[in-house]
Amino acid sequence: MEVAVQGGKAVEARGEARALSFAAVSPGWPLVAALVAALVCAAPAIAVLFGAVGAAPAGAGAANLMRDAVIGTLALTLGAGLIATALGAAAAWLVTLCDFPGRSIFEWLLVLPLAAPVYVLAYAYGAITGPGGPVPLGLSGLVGAGFVYVVGLYPYIYLSTRAAFVSQNVCALEAARGLGAGPWRTFFTVAAPLAWPGVAAGGALAAMEIAADYGAASYFGASTITTGVFRAWFSRGEPQLAMQLASLLLIGALVFLWLERAARGKRGFAGGSARWRTLKRITLSPPAAFGATAFCAMLALLGALIPIAWLTRLASFRTFEDFTQLSEPLLRSLVIAGIGAAVTLGVSALIALAARRVSGRIGLFAAAIGYAAPGAVTALGALAVFSMLREAGLVGGLSGAAAVTMLLWVYASRFAAAGAQPIEAGLTRVTRNIADAGRTLGVGPLQRAWRIELPIAAPAAVAGALIVFVEILKELPATLVLRPYDFETLATRAYAYASDERLIQAAAPSLMITLAGLIPVIMLSRRLTRSRAGDRE
Amino acid sequence: MSEAPCDVRVENVRRIFGARAAVDDITLTAPAGKVTALLGASGSGKSTLLRLIAGLERVDGGRILLGETVASTTASLLPAEARQVGFVFQDFALFPHMTAAQNVAFGLDKLERKARPREAAAWLERVGLGHRADAYPHELSGGEQQRVALARALAPRPRAVLLDEPFSGLDPALRAELRDTTLDAVASIGATTLFVTHDAEEALYVADQIAILRAGKLVQADTPRALYAAPVSPEAAAALGPVNRFEGAIAGGALQTPFGKIAAPGRGEGAATAVVRAEALHFAPDGAPVTVLDRRPQGAFDLVRVTAGEIVWRMSAAAGEGPASGARANIRIRPEGAFVF
Repeated sequence: MEVAVQGGKAVEARGEARALSFAAVSPGWPLVAALVAALVCAAPAIAVLFGAVGAAPAGAGAANLMRDAVIGTLALTLGAGLIATALGAAAAWLVTLCDFPGRSIFEWLLVLPLAAPVYVLAYAYGAITGPGGPVPLGLSGLVGAGFVYVVGLYPYIYLSTRAAFVSQNVCALEAARGLGAGPWRTFFTVAAPLAWPGVAAGGALAAMEIAADYGAASYFGASTITTGVFRAWFSRGEPQLAMQLASLLLIGALVFLWLERAARGKRGFAGGSARWRTLKRITLSPPAAFGATAFCAMLALLGALIPIAWLTRLASFRTFEDFTQLSEPLLRSLVIAGIGAAVTLGVSALIALAARRVSGRIGLFAAAIGYAAPGAVTALGALAVFSMLREAGLVGGLSGAAAVTMLLWVYASRFAAAGAQPIEAGLTRVTRNIADAGRTLGVGPLQRAWRIELPIAAPAAVAGALIVFVEILKELPATLVLRPYDFETLATRAYAYASDERLIQAAAPSLMITLAGLIPVIMLSRRLTRSRAGDRE
Repeated sequence: MSEAPCDVRVENVRRIFGARAAVDDITLTAPAGKVTALLGASGSGKSTLLRLIAGLERVDGGRILLGETVASTTASLLPAEARQVGFVFQDFALFPHMTAAQNVAFGLDKLERKARPREAAAWLERVGLGHRADAYPHELSGGEQQRVALARALAPRPRAVLLDEPFSGLDPALRAELRDTTLDAVASIGATTLFVTHDAEEALYVADQIAILRAGKLVQADTPRALYAAPVSPEAAAALGPVNRFEGAIAGGALQTPFGKIAAPGRGEGAATAVVRAEALHFAPDGAPVTVLDRRPQGAFDLVRVTAGEIVWRMSAAAGEGPASGARANIRIRPEGAFVF
């Protein structure tokens, strides 16, 4: 805090009055910045909660819709969530604490499924298991959606469990072994309990993703709360019901967010920068080692390699003209993601700068809510705010410009947290003395932010911008709801093709999205290779 | 743009961290244009006092004046950025994304845009770094960083300059050289200077006034010579160099030690503490008999430990002169380096 105004003695020198009034204002700016950012991030979610209040829509149709939606989402988050958690945790344990052929490759290969959004996996498996596909199982419904969630989302658990293993105190493990516990007993009595928070945090993240997914569930015709929101709003014209479903989803997401935060504590995904002494891996017997290799290979194949290969094959059937048809959605995607990333990063920077003061922590909190809220919920909330403003006569009709503005707002709300995190990390380079040096050189708080804090955090902000850019490129439900008429992005085009069962056409835009998705995954795997469990002294 | 250097007046200032008073009721005036050293061990509150004067912390009691301006009270705080007080940090705190020249130009906002690079270059030249203007902080050595930090703090011509252990991380040969560079640069703008150090020799060398701090309290403040000649307490005496302590009793206006009497004018009879500077003991044929325990060379002087009975005292003697280890000798106390409290 820069100032203490505690009452008491009156100001003595007259020349001081100007400086004082300035000082009295200055501690407010982090709070103001944080409140602005909080409004951007949390307003849609709050609007949804308000919109849900009121008489429940009558009719058996509405009740059935709600019942099926809740059952579907519960089944998927619990069923697929638990299977993904088991697989991801097992993979993390194998890769971090055991030795088997291909281990170092799997270490980063297992992250690859994160490049493709689950709806892209759904389209790929729809084609693979559909009529004329190589495995005509006819994957659909809850089972189909559950399958792609498992193979597409296990990396969340893999990453957070791995981080938990990596950041474990090696000394504790060695102490256990020194006390005569064998490697297996050490695992069950020491390593596993220590890794449990990581497993839980990853599982909560995966559950959030499952509950929020619209594309895969809608493609497989699974009834979930998210698809229910769309059905209530667009097919049945019952905004009240949509709001109620959305607030249900929002509350669930917040519970998972709380779970994830509580479990993770302050640990990051890649395991921090601490140095760890070499941890001796368990050498597996040849059959066990073969099993481990096969298991990890299966995860990587199902989650990334097979679907990407199949989409590539499908895309190769297209002619050059077909690709030129994609140039417009591609351009739109790049432009909206570019502008969206810039807007979002602005909000992120406000949040990160304000969060350096205690009074500004509220921005981080609001950003976390915006991040947890599924895209469909945020879009609905933005529409609700818009219609309130229209009723108040503050804005006109829903023009194209208004729609794009709302879209950018929703992106900022959803992804500001993703951008704020690296900026916050970058700002730790601005030590107290560096900030104080700026002050003693006569430079005020805003100038300091502009001339010292932001430039120092800039390299980290670039990484944040890249992550946000890709997230926007992949985003489907909010874009679907809010885009202006005739405004097609790669994601909405892929969705439209897939909905018409034109999977060959859907392959090319899906691949482009996956290609973009590789960028943050590669960044992540580079961080991973720098933080191996005990490899570096 | 610069104003004349001003007195820095600290009046009954307190600063409390949790349950501990880091600065406890300190009153001190740093005279305009002079160099004041704040001397004390770590935890004595000297760095906190500097941050309070800079406006980087609020006071929990008392007030701070810069010239006629009331800068800090418990009710109001002139922000650091409005104080025109330069600060050289212990870790230098250079802006990592700026070159040396850009760092120095940072505080020159009030100059015309065109004049800023020229002024920055002139300051780098003055501290002998004209050739390193385009280097980034991580490319500079510790000593070079210190000089950039100094130039950066002085370039806006502040009314007062505060230096927080600016040489503590540097090797001794460099320290002496940088001390002179720093003194010359500070003198060139005539700013009031406050300078934190835990090195008595450095304080004696640099300062016009030394303020000795201990556990958040001011022990004594005076000119180096006055402080050396008339410490107010055993702590004040010990702050400026090695001393010997002796618990004895005053009888007949003097305290008797194994090595001779120390005058204690105006003191009544009773228990008292004698403090004798190491350099106030010297070998003299008519002195008290002692045995030399050992001699340790310290450059121009040796630190000699002598013993009489159970008492071991430390004294300094010209290198190599006088009796060797194990020899018997006689020593006397010079009255100007011996005090009774």
